[in-house]
Amino acid sequence: MSYLIIEGLHKKYGQVSVLTNIHMEIQKGEFITLLGPSGCGKSTILRIVAGLTDASAGKISIEGKDMNGVQPKDRQVGMVFQSYALFPNMTVHENVAFGLRMQKVNKTDMEQRVHEMLALVHLSEKANAYPKELSGGQQQRVALARALIVRPKVLLLDEPLSALDAQIRKKLQADLRSIQRKLNMTMILVTHDQEEAMAVSDRIFVMNNGSIAQTGTPTEIYTRPNNEFIANFIGHYNVFPRQSLEKMLGKSLIGQSTKFAIRPEALHLDQRDGDLCLSGIAKQSLMSGNIIRTTFEGEMTFTMEQLHQQGYSIEMGKSYKCYVAQEDVIALS
Amino acid sequence: MKQYESIFTNDYILQGFKNSITLSVISAMIALLITLFAVYAMMKFSEPVREKIIILTNLTSNFSGIPLAFAFIVLLGNSGLFTLLFDKWDIDVLTSFSLYSWSGLLLIYIYFQLPLSLMLLYPIYDGIQQQWKEAAALLGASSWQFWMKIGIPVMLPGIVGTFSVLFANAMGAYASAYALTSSNYNLVAIRIGSLIKGDIFAQPELASAIAVILAVTMVTAMLISEWSISKTRRKVK
Amino acid sequence: MKKRGLADFFFLLLVGYLLLPVLATMLYAFATKWNKSILPEGLTLKWLATLFRDTDFIQAFGRSVLLAGGAVSIALLVIVPAIFVIVLYFPKYEKWIQMAVVMVYSFPGIILAVGLIRVYSKIGIPMIFVVLGAYVVGILPYIYQGTRNSLRNIDARQLLDAAQLLGASKRQAFTKILLPTVYPGLFAGALLSFSVLFGEFVLINLVVGSRFETVQIYLMKKLSTSGHIASAVVFIYLVLMGLLTFVIAIVTKRSKGATNL
Repeated sequence: MSYLIIEGLHKKYGQVSVLTNIHMEIQKGEFITLLGPSGCGKSTILRIVAGLTDASAGKISIEGKDMNGVQPKDRQVGMVFQSYALFPNMTVHENVAFGLRMQKVNKTDMEQRVHEMLALVHLSEKANAYPKELSGGQQQRVALARALIVRPKVLLLDEPLSALDAQIRKKLQADLRSIQRKLNMTMILVTHDQEEAMAVSDRIFVMNNGSIAQTGTPTEIYTRPNNEFIANFIGHYNVFPRQSLEKMLGKSLIGQSTKFAIRPEALHLDQRDGDLCLSGIAKQSLMSGNIIRTTFEGEMTFTMEQLHQQGYSIEMGKSYKCYVAQEDVIALS
Repeated sequence: MKQYESIFTNDYILQGFKNSITLSVISAMIALLITLFAVYAMMKFSEPVREKIIILTNLTSNFSGIPLAFAFIVLLGNSGLFTLLFDKWDIDVLTSFSLYSWSGLLLIYIYFQLPLSLMLLYPIYDGIQQQWKEAAALLGASSWQFWMKIGIPVMLPGIVGTFSVLFANAMGAYASAYALTSSNYNLVAIRIGSLIKGDIFAQPELASAIAVILAVTMVTAMLISEWSISKTRRKVK
Repeated sequence: MKKRGLADFFFLLLVGYLLLPVLATMLYAFATKWNKSILPEGLTLKWLATLFRDTDFIQAFGRSVLLAGGAVSIALLVIVPAIFVIVLYFPKYEKWIQMAVVMVYSFPGIILAVGLIRVYSKIGIPMIFVVLGAYVVGILPYIYQGTRNSLRNIDARQLLDAAQLLGASKRQAFTKILLPTVYPGLFAGALLSFSVLFGEFVLINLVVGSRFETVQIYLMKKLSTSGHIASAVVFIYLVLMGLLTFVIAIVTKRSKGATNL
């Protein structure tokens, strides 16, 4: 039986439905990400799991225990907020110790555990600092330590890294993942950043408009998006209507799908066996780090991404043939 | 210097200071206590409703001085509404009560302290983030524990600051007490007023000296509150 | 749950306590006779009518408006440009204004009265102008706050620079861009100042006295003679304050909405 089960969850605010029929089953020690654009209801799921918001219908159980009517403080669920929500009147040490003090853990145990936890998030030397004296990244590590120290059954992370700048975010993603592995902690992360979701998760639930659009491992989601929304949201997929694509390829495609997607990096200029061919005139090239994105105009506009290598160049205004393997043309439902 | 000497040897003036300080401290404390709870209760209303309440209190904050004193005379004066009512019903709560004495002044002082206190406390309460409560709740704290360990400590500097403003506000108040007791009740502000107005014999020099001492008292109160705020805030800096 | 109830109780106590005197006074202004019963024996417009026929009152009202309005106008003409210049071009001096604001705000009228009399009574200028001057300075906090709040919501300096780069002269930039944007805040500040000055009693009573009878002094006089007339005065005063508060609330709300766009 799964560790955390969400069954038939609905949430309405007045007439507006924000969550419809959410089902999730999560195993112990899994790192799950709820990924979706802002306003898709992903944070609401977290708040319902934590007991901070009531569901309109549905059931949540943790370790087989029904959470209906259980107060937030008795759920043994931890949460890390986007704004950190550190208590400003307490030092780092006091913030981290807060949950243990509420449990009336004895002083020696408490000192020991706070000490270990601060070491885990690399903040031992900041124990006596106040939240205001820390950087955003440090504050978020305190918030993480504060939530982890009470050994919650599930740790919920509500966009914890989105207020931080890119470099620190990358570093904290790695830290988060390694801490999660070390403690074998069940975590649910909410984010709108698909790169972040790919980087840390065991499984991703992509959400759109209050329901789950697709579930799978990062690789599954990335290579096999099952509809246009996900193809657009996950990567810079080229999405073509069936007719235009067939016209461009000069051959008919199998299956019933009306739309197809091709990852820009699946396109290449050298022909391999069995490849399909798209042709177009190079219009614009954008370089982002080691990647060059080129936009072509043919029957349809499409983009290709190639590693930026020496000697590699595409002349603007010239016509090119781009090739793609048949299995990289993904049928969307 | 002779003026100052005469202040400290004049029991009457010293008593005025004592009365003013007691009245100010007690009215400030009661108003603060009431508004602390009231703002807490207010927070359950939606933002627009809260704004309307604030506007209403804003209006009553204009209701001070002579008009306020008069309103209380209408309610509790010698032939006031409640005075007569309670008389008729033979309830003798008010028989020992006189609007024109210390307890009457206290009621009026509390009245004009309330809107000010509410307006100062509201933004302080508003500074308590909902997510702190949620974080505390998830860590196992009850609502009571949250307020004791986080809410009140965070607000403390603001509360102390509010108290000192209320204290100063009451120390300097003149019009209501003047209208109500017409110089009969011994308060510092009233003393200064009657000494310069010269109803009987004007002594502007003495009035100035008392005014200086009054100013010093208020500045001292402000400094004490600043000091205690910085002491609690050093931790939060 | 019990605590919740306690808080609600205090809230109701507060609202009730604040409203009761207001309502009682307003009702008293319309009561024929009200000294033997819970509610007045009858309602009448007699007191208000008497009041409006009393030239003393009309004159007192006129004096109040003149004094408060005059002080606010002077403050707008003199203080506001000064605040602009300091905020825009000498921001480092702003902390001095803030200090002045705090001092003026926390300085009680009773102490100020003593100071004014001591300093100015021997110079020979009419004391009424001394009070007017004190009023102008006294409303500094409200005017400053009003102006500052509107300026804070916009980056005034950048706005002026942008206007000038687009070909506006300094004067045009100021009158066409800056003034309209700060106008609501300024207007609200001015109304607030007016309502505060309208209710001022300490200075005018102690420094000038009955030589310049304002509404407040008129009311003080009536207090001992006729309760009904006095409550009619308070009624009018409250209606005026209510109107001002209402307009201030609307203006502030609108200016907030405009800057939040």
